[in-house]
Amino acid sequence: MSGVARILGGGAAVSLSLAILLSAAPHAAAQTRAETLRQVTGNTVNTLDPTVPGSTREAFGMSMNVYDRLVTFERKANGKGFIFDFDHMRPELAKSFDISPDGLTITFHLRPDATWHDGTPVTAEDVKWSLDRAVTAKSLGPPQMLTGSLTSASQFTIIDPMTVQVKLDKPDRLALPNLATVYAIMVNSKVAKAHVTEDDPWALQWLKEHEAGSGAYVVDVFKPGEQIVLHRNEAWKGGKDGTLPFFKRIIAQTVPEAATRANLLARGDADIAIDLQSSDVPEIEKSGKLKVVSTPQFNAFTVVAFNTRIPPYDNVKVRRAIAAALPYEDMFKAAIFGRGAKLYGADWTTTPPDGKFPQPMPEHTDLVAAKKLLTEAGFAEGFDTTFSYSVSTAQINDPLAALLKESLGKIGIRVEIQKLPDAQMSTLVTEKKVAMFTDTPISWMTSTDYFFRNFFTGDQRWNYSSWDNQDVVATAQTARFEPDPVKYEALAKKLVAITADQVPEAFLWQPSQDAVMGPTVDGYTYWFHRQVDYRDLKRQ
Amino acid sequence: MRKLAGIARLAGQRLLSSLPALLGVVVFTFVLMRVLPGDPAVFFASGPSAGQQEIQDLRHQMGLDRSIPVQLAFYLRDIGTGSFGRSMTTGQPVLKDLRERLPASLELTFTALFIALGLAIPMGVAAALNPGTAIDHAVRFLCTLGVCVPTFVSGLLLIYVFYYLAGIAPDPTGRIDVFTAPPPSLTGFLVIDSLLAGDAEAAAAALRQLVLPAATMALFVLAPLARMTRASMLAVLGSDFIRTGRAMGLSRSRIIVVYALRNAALPVLTIAGIVFSTMLGANVLVEKVFSWPGVAAYALDALLASDYAPVQGFVLLMASIFVLVNLLVDVLYGLADPRVAAA
Repeated sequence: MSGVARILGGGAAVSLSLAILLSAAPHAAAQTRAETLRQVTGNTVNTLDPTVPGSTREAFGMSMNVYDRLVTFERKANGKGFIFDFDHMRPELAKSFDISPDGLTITFHLRPDATWHDGTPVTAEDVKWSLDRAVTAKSLGPPQMLTGSLTSASQFTIIDPMTVQVKLDKPDRLALPNLATVYAIMVNSKVAKAHVTEDDPWALQWLKEHEAGSGAYVVDVFKPGEQIVLHRNEAWKGGKDGTLPFFKRIIAQTVPEAATRANLLARGDADIAIDLQSSDVPEIEKSGKLKVVSTPQFNAFTVVAFNTRIPPYDNVKVRRAIAAALPYEDMFKAAIFGRGAKLYGADWTTTPPDGKFPQPMPEHTDLVAAKKLLTEAGFAEGFDTTFSYSVSTAQINDPLAALLKESLGKIGIRVEIQKLPDAQMSTLVTEKKVAMFTDTPISWMTSTDYFFRNFFTGDQRWNYSSWDNQDVVATAQTARFEPDPVKYEALAKKLVAITADQVPEAFLWQPSQDAVMGPTVDGYTYWFHRQVDYRDLKRQ
Repeated sequence: MRKLAGIARLAGQRLLSSLPALLGVVVFTFVLMRVLPGDPAVFFASGPSAGQQEIQDLRHQMGLDRSIPVQLAFYLRDIGTGSFGRSMTTGQPVLKDLRERLPASLELTFTALFIALGLAIPMGVAAALNPGTAIDHAVRFLCTLGVCVPTFVSGLLLIYVFYYLAGIAPDPTGRIDVFTAPPPSLTGFLVIDSLLAGDAEAAAAALRQLVLPAATMALFVLAPLARMTRASMLAVLGSDFIRTGRAMGLSRSRIIVVYALRNAALPVLTIAGIVFSTMLGANVLVEKVFSWPGVAAYALDALLASDYAPVQGFVLLMASIFVLVNLLVDVLYGLADPRVAAA
């Protein structure tokens, strides 16, 4: 028996040493743990330059902390946290800015004491180069800047070493907000120019993996798919009233499994996560151990889109019938657990109360009316159709699709549910080949004309319903350059009214973003880019 | 000496004959990726304001506007010059990504295999020596349990018990505690690197991170290894030379360890080779659950994003490793059983 004993003993020794390893005391935490913020996320920062095609949303958020823009949005209190304030802006890298009375010239005065991360001063040449880059480089920048009438390098002039001027053809209300968006990063041009190549005059390749900014945080470690570590820039001048952010060190770590992220938060090893499973959040909130800041994403909207180019969705009565047949309340509860703001159930009929968009539409579940509309449209027997969504949204959309299928079945519409891989779904949507589908588009700018220009006109992917309503096209373009707020409001109301009548998409809700954080973390702000801005956070 | 030369010749022949297979794998994956629906250019251009022009530019930049045979020719030329293309998901060259991530997967797989063999062989031997008894049933029960619980379930369960409830395991995120400075990279194996750098604390931190994921994987592969050991041992124990050994009055331990186990090792070796290759590629769930920055999780992310280059690079890498592991198993065969080398 001794041989067996020896062999078994070997196995036991292995498991014993495992047990000892496991129980070894966790080594002393770094001294700056309280000054360190650890974010866990399911996604990854894949580039340090947010303008590179293929940038992830996390890369957008990271760039807000590493790069400054000339201007930024203010924030305002909302519930337990804050939300960004699209209507109020303050200077960031600039010391101040003024807009000429005709709205055609914006002048930026730079800070004499502002420096880049390498310690060299920020000059007007750097700012001009960065603005030129945003509108010229083959990147995500130009199509975005275009929405603010910023199209050519000739619009940016250096007045003196501390002053840069931006000229506009028309008084575009979105010119200044565009300079606060993700893509309008200010880059240390001397460093970037040293890495320019013939094929790459704007150093897109080099800036993908290196940063040359002036922002509140400096990148220490950048491992895409694993983690990114930042330390505070002690010379940062862009804060509100010149204050530095609280946290001295940031660790943003990729943890693919949502349950693990929740465990890390519950144990206090991680400080914040904004992408936990929505079904876990109510539980976490109830337990009271962690803080949940829940903000309806007021710049996003979940829709059921009808492709108006594919019959029978070219028939407005069919669209109205489906919009009336959707079980809104049940879907709201089953898909997002009631965590969000409703975009249905309003009690106006033809004229909305204001020009805000998105706002609740006058749709109610009414199967009798739906059946009547469908009969009037010539589909008394119903029809066969498909309903698509991408696999990555299955958690929310599986119950939504099931309820939709059941409810539409009651008025004779036979729905086949298609769950498609993300890349395939985006291809089909861009090629306008999906008949009916759901998605949650999001806009960085919250003005009504911008929503309509991007999501309800034109040939691009985001016009989900491929809607081509000349009245909407003309009204949105007029509104864009309308300086008078009263007239603008009237135009905006008209846009909303046409949409409510024509139903290119059935509006469901604005899902909440649930930011879950340790009880000591404070100051979370919901930003247009939907990512954590570490500069806002502090530990109590 | 002649034996070594024989092994070298065998290895050379094997490597040469595996080249057509590798080429086939490359071409097959390449075509398959492009036949699958989904346009990577559209997917990666999905910024808030990307229009048709941006998609076209990106398609051109990725070379997708050329015909598939032309793309394949370019790809083969790139592989020949040692370039595997660039990943859109991480923004890095695929070769760099794989070089960084392969050691992570290897470290985990080796540890898991070590644990699994360390448990499975004694268990298999014990079961074979006492067939039909309580020990045999206990081993069978453990094996069945290990193989029927999916790794993500056992992984999450281990995390819940040892990390969340008991608090004795480190947080299950990656290869080393985020607050510990990783050692300078030499081999890519964190434990070895830490020891080389003389940093005992980092080595312990890296080892602690390894325990739970490696145990999860080991549990899953316990069954094939233990069952194979048992069956093979039973066959050998019933053979003539064991009976002769007993009759000659050799000690029981000598008979079991020297004569029976060595002869029973061949099938176990084969299975271990297959288990290793499978674990390396198929442990994606374990890598996901433990945020392990390995190659399998990398390839899955790329696949979901229609990111061609990383998937192709991964498949080629796995095929090459499979060839190497099989070769190694064959060489070990020769060492364990002289008859194989002679043949």
